[in-house]
Amino acid sequence: MTSRRSHDSGLLSRRRFLQALGLAGIGSGICAPSLFSSEPSLLFATAFEEITANISGINWTHVSGRSPMAHLPETVGAGCAFLDYDNDGWMDIYLVNSGPCDFYEPSAPLRNALYHNNRNGSFTDVTQPAGVPGNAYGMGVAVGDYDGDGFPDLYVTQYPNSILYHNNGDGTFTDVTAKAGIAAPGWATSAVWFDYDNDGRLDLFVCRFVDYSKTKLKFCGDLITGERHYCIPSIYDPMPCWLFHNNGDGTFTDVSTVSGIAQSRAKAWGAVAADLNNDGRMDLYVTNDTLPNFLFANRGKGRFEEIGVLSGVGVSSFGKPRSGMGVDAADYDQDGWIDLFEANVDQEMYSLYHNEKDGGFTDAANPNGIGVATRLMSGWGLKFLDYDNDGDIDLLLCNGHPDDTVEKRIEGVKFREPMLLFRNTGKGFENVSLQSGSIFSKPLAARGLALGDFDNDGAVDLLVSQNNGSPILLRNLAGRENHWLGIRLVGTKANMDAIGAKVTYQAGGLQRHKFKVGGGSYLSSHDPRVVLGLGQRTKIDWLEVEWPQPSGRKERFTDLPIGRYITIVEGQGKWK
Amino acid sequence: MRGWRSMIAGVILRAKTMDSVPELFRKWILISGAALLLCRAGIAQVASQAPASGTSSGAKRGISLASKGRCSQAVPSLKKAVAQITDKKLKYDVLMSIAHCAMGLEQTETAVRTLLELNRSFPQDPEVLYLTTHYYSDLALRASHELAATAPSSPQAQQLEAEAFESQGDWGKAITQYRMILDQNPQRHGIHYRLGRLFLTKTPADLENAKKELGEELKIDPTSAASEFLLGEIARQSGQWDDAIGHFDKAAKLDEGFSEAYLALGMSMNSAGKFTDAVAPLESYVKMQPDDPAGHYQLATAYERTGRKQDAQRQVVLQQESATKAPRTPAQP
Repeated sequence: MTSRRSHDSGLLSRRRFLQALGLAGIGSGICAPSLFSSEPSLLFATAFEEITANISGINWTHVSGRSPMAHLPETVGAGCAFLDYDNDGWMDIYLVNSGPCDFYEPSAPLRNALYHNNRNGSFTDVTQPAGVPGNAYGMGVAVGDYDGDGFPDLYVTQYPNSILYHNNGDGTFTDVTAKAGIAAPGWATSAVWFDYDNDGRLDLFVCRFVDYSKTKLKFCGDLITGERHYCIPSIYDPMPCWLFHNNGDGTFTDVSTVSGIAQSRAKAWGAVAADLNNDGRMDLYVTNDTLPNFLFANRGKGRFEEIGVLSGVGVSSFGKPRSGMGVDAADYDQDGWIDLFEANVDQEMYSLYHNEKDGGFTDAANPNGIGVATRLMSGWGLKFLDYDNDGDIDLLLCNGHPDDTVEKRIEGVKFREPMLLFRNTGKGFENVSLQSGSIFSKPLAARGLALGDFDNDGAVDLLVSQNNGSPILLRNLAGRENHWLGIRLVGTKANMDAIGAKVTYQAGGLQRHKFKVGGGSYLSSHDPRVVLGLGQRTKIDWLEVEWPQPSGRKERFTDLPIGRYITIVEGQGKWK
Repeated sequence: MRGWRSMIAGVILRAKTMDSVPELFRKWILISGAALLLCRAGIAQVASQAPASGTSSGAKRGISLASKGRCSQAVPSLKKAVAQITDKKLKYDVLMSIAHCAMGLEQTETAVRTLLELNRSFPQDPEVLYLTTHYYSDLALRASHELAATAPSSPQAQQLEAEAFESQGDWGKAITQYRMILDQNPQRHGIHYRLGRLFLTKTPADLENAKKELGEELKIDPTSAASEFLLGEIARQSGQWDDAIGHFDKAAKLDEGFSEAYLALGMSMNSAGKFTDAVAPLESYVKMQPDDPAGHYQLATAYERTGRKQDAQRQVVLQQESATKAPRTPAQP
């Protein structure tokens, strides 16, 4: 025993201390790319090209209202969305801004922005005629056709009350929050439209962050100079999230308590709705900051059971809560079970939770190189997407530390951080950020991320919102190099937006499937269409849509085109 | 008290802050250099804080002498007085005066004993911890100088030099120095292990060379639990669960008190889906480290996935309790 301990004991205390420090990097230094034997088949010098404001016409800027008081909402917003509000087949853009509230009185009026797609790469600000400016301190946006009239509606989360804008179908919206009963008082963050009770109507889940107001502000900072920095939210009290049941008459019922959702007090930033156990019911994964994340398993009859910790997605592998922020869900390894992704704050690494098909998840971030790449990052908007249309689901992460003074306090951590792109090689993920264009070297205070094909070329583009800065519109050049088919799904018995649908397709030797999840990312909402990547294959043999409950209908289609978008309406047995 | 090996292993398991290491080393060196200055400044500080009233006039006289720099006279009277003092504040001031004076007079034994007494009587006192840090690091510095002066070509001196290079992030010089030790004595225990560790500390980590060195260490010393542990950790972080399990199992068998090896073994078994197998090492771990939420969380997972729902719930409660009690540190992945 003595001899084998000899190299670790018996010398100086200082050395022991130094040894311990010297060992502190083993995990972080391990590089995953060596795990992958295959080289990427296709890499792009510029996978995403930034469309500048003078071309896009998007001159709107987010104003955080950064104050010496360092109110926490100032640093976490805001979100963005792609939506086709006028149903012309082209993705428009919605951007959320700050606004007046008890802790902030803007020196000049602030407003959200709705930009109409001019179909030529430029956009026109139509906020004023559309009537969607927001009216408080804006956070995020969730788009969903809650009344099934064929026009997408907007739910804008805010502090201290949120707004439901009903789409009138004529380019204008009406604030129907009071009638709908979904103001969700408090500090709302991300929101998700999904049909939790399988009645064919979209219900609404709203994340709530801490119990916050001007009078509840706490001091975090330098006690001597009085200089404040943004607090770690552990010092604020958690609050329950909201779940609203859609009554089908333009009103909603608050079912937060009866559903079991409100039993778990949250500090929630992100949420995604997906059927994680393949039981035909949509579950919810909710990321919390300094509390365990929630996995609300939908047990039917309107009840949810919170099983986050025991399913392996609640805390770190060392049993401690992290700062869960951005989130998404997709079956990245095509085993038929939806996996999860969670972004955290610096030093915590992000997690790629592989669904083990038995109610449990295993964190696969380290073997996929995601752990080491995100060690110093803080992640917000993120999304699984097949950016290169090769049929494999890749991963895009937007980053930025929440505290703008962090660089003074923590070495190696930056307030502005670059985005990360992980390509799915079929054997795992590979960090291809540095090979994919200059945008992946650009430091950003990124928050929201929305996916949408704004130029209808089949390559899914990106919209990144920045805290206290201009949004960034990125055109996808990589996806153009492969073939594709885009689908707009319209539910009839199932919910209109077909949230929860599964699309399976075969193209030669390639068989893939995609689940249409609700929400995902952070404070943001996405193009509702599904793009199927074919690689270099020029023909799609068949496509099957499994509609969500209460339909559950399966429809198979053949003789399909490629390189364009089609619409499939549930039950019609044909595409157009 | 947790063993040194467990402390290292804990750091490794939770490792993620490699880039901050060189900076910490630099700060440490600066602290060491400031130690001598501190003892002189400290005496004046204690004197200025001396109480106006007290139970022992001898003690007060001693403090006064110390404050005037008359430490040779002060220390004997203070040492004599301290045993009789019941007033906590006065005792604190007397002990601090003795410590500062002894440090200035280079009365190492007295200084160390007094610091130990201060740490016993006033645990977690920031000033005591501050002074202790400075003095111990100063002692370490002196010992290393002495080693360099008296036995410069000894393996110990070479090893210390290699570690100094390592601490400065000068990997190349550290490797050269370690290699020199092995050239002189290829069978010396621990050097290949340190090289392996060093290759892991580099950015990016040199896994192949690390594995090679750790393998070499095991050839020389098949009982090196630390080498097995590091090999296991390399495998674990790469998702090679079976390989990781093999190494952690060996580490735990080689050193039954090596608690982190049990945790790592259980974690790897859980990750590999071997939940039934994970129960035993994790149960061992939570007995050894009942305050670590990691053990309770992993054990809860193993219980849950083997159908022991109530046991799992109990562990979740313990995990939450221990996570709440644990000091806030950067969370682990």
